[in-house]
Amino acid sequence: MPITHEYQSASPVKAPVEHRFSPYTDNGGTALAVAGEDFCVVAGDTRQSEGYHINSRYQPKVFQLSNGSVLATGGMYADAVTLVKRLEQRLEWYYHQHEKKMSVDALAQMLSVILYHKRFFPYYVWNTLGGIDGNGKGCVFSYDPVGNYEKHHWNCTGSAGHLIQPFLDNQIGFKHMQGIQRRFLTPEEVVRIVKDSFTSATERDIYTGDYVEIFIVTAGGIDVQRVPLKRD
Amino acid sequence: MFLTRSEYDRGVNTFSPEGRLFQVEYAIEAIKLGSTAVGIQTSEGVVLAVEKRVTSSLLEPSSIEKILEIDAHLGCAMSGLTADSRTMIDHARVEAQNHWFTYNEKIKVESVTQAVCDLALRFGEGAEGEESIMSRPFGVALLIAGVDEKGPQLFHADPSGTFMRYDAKAIGSGSEGAQGELQEHYNKSLTLKEAEVLALRVLKQVMEEKLNATNVQLATVTAEKGFRIHNEEETAAVITQLA
Repeated sequence: MPITHEYQSASPVKAPVEHRFSPYTDNGGTALAVAGEDFCVVAGDTRQSEGYHINSRYQPKVFQLSNGSVLATGGMYADAVTLVKRLEQRLEWYYHQHEKKMSVDALAQMLSVILYHKRFFPYYVWNTLGGIDGNGKGCVFSYDPVGNYEKHHWNCTGSAGHLIQPFLDNQIGFKHMQGIQRRFLTPEEVVRIVKDSFTSATERDIYTGDYVEIFIVTAGGIDVQRVPLKRD
Repeated sequence: MFLTRSEYDRGVNTFSPEGRLFQVEYAIEAIKLGSTAVGIQTSEGVVLAVEKRVTSSLLEPSSIEKILEIDAHLGCAMSGLTADSRTMIDHARVEAQNHWFTYNEKIKVESVTQAVCDLALRFGEGAEGEESIMSRPFGVALLIAGVDEKGPQLFHADPSGTFMRYDAKAIGSGSEGAQGELQEHYNKSLTLKEAEVLALRVLKQVMEEKLNATNVQLATVTAEKGFRIHNEEETAAVITQLA
């Protein structure tokens, strides 16, 4: 007998079939940033996923901005792209209006304001901003989707954020170590730790892999390295 | 000049055949009726000084305000129709606060001056869609002083929306004489204290009344203390150095 009931469900429990549009998706991936004494390293993997599908093995979500800083994004890629477009536009306006490049500290505050302006329909993005501040020191800022932000020396967000963060706490911040001389690491040491972080995270997190793109920001400019990760 | 004025000095947005906007030129004339204001930039900070016209012995001199704060690092002196400056100062203050809110940094002196000048030409019918605020040009000129990452700076903004940076500038009724005096006595190595004395000396020479601590107002903008208006005792202390 055909089902003529208004509830078109084979389930023994009668419930209305819902048709809902969800405007958000999580495209996975991991990003981190480490501030050195006079440099900053920002890195992110390049895999883009949706559930068990891999959309792309190389779709970078770490963006070099025109004021010399680097923004790593996580969460929904489409929102991240829109956000970066807006940031670039604002950076250019600022440059023409005030005849100077926006400092990383100013950008940090502006990003928070932009995110909070969409408090009730947020960009589904977790941002990590890295660069060199006005005093020539490396700096890292991390955000939630509505613009709460904090300045750190190192930070990791994204699908493997909870795996890498404690590793950085130990290796960069010398946490849980005794009888050790705390010091600033060199760019080479940081890059080595970043590579190890991503290779290990790739083993455990299905949303992290393919490649890791590493941006090394110094007063002299930005150097980019692309390192292959496991593709499984 | 007077022959051709008749038709073209009515509409505020109408050029005369010689390419002039008479209403803007008249607005600039209005400033020449105002009390004299002087600004001097030094490497230590900027000095602003204004003459207060105390027209009656019953008038309370402290109610004449011709030097105002825009932000902690920005001050402003004016001459002309001072009531018109309220709109401009208000705009400058909002602009300075918005900049701080959005970028967590002090706005540059030039940027705030540019913002005020953008407002200065928004008179007449207004472009499509936007409501115009003023039906005529502002009748006031501003000396905007401040300290930012480029150091102490002094800007002059007039009703035509033009602004320029000066080492020392005088505006108002005594501006011609005062500017000449500044030209003669200004040098780049002036200290802030010396500039305060010079500013009052210049005012003294162009003022009709005898200068005293109540009929002038003095203010400074420095990197350390920001914008500060001198009280009567401090002003009096500078006056004693005039002789």
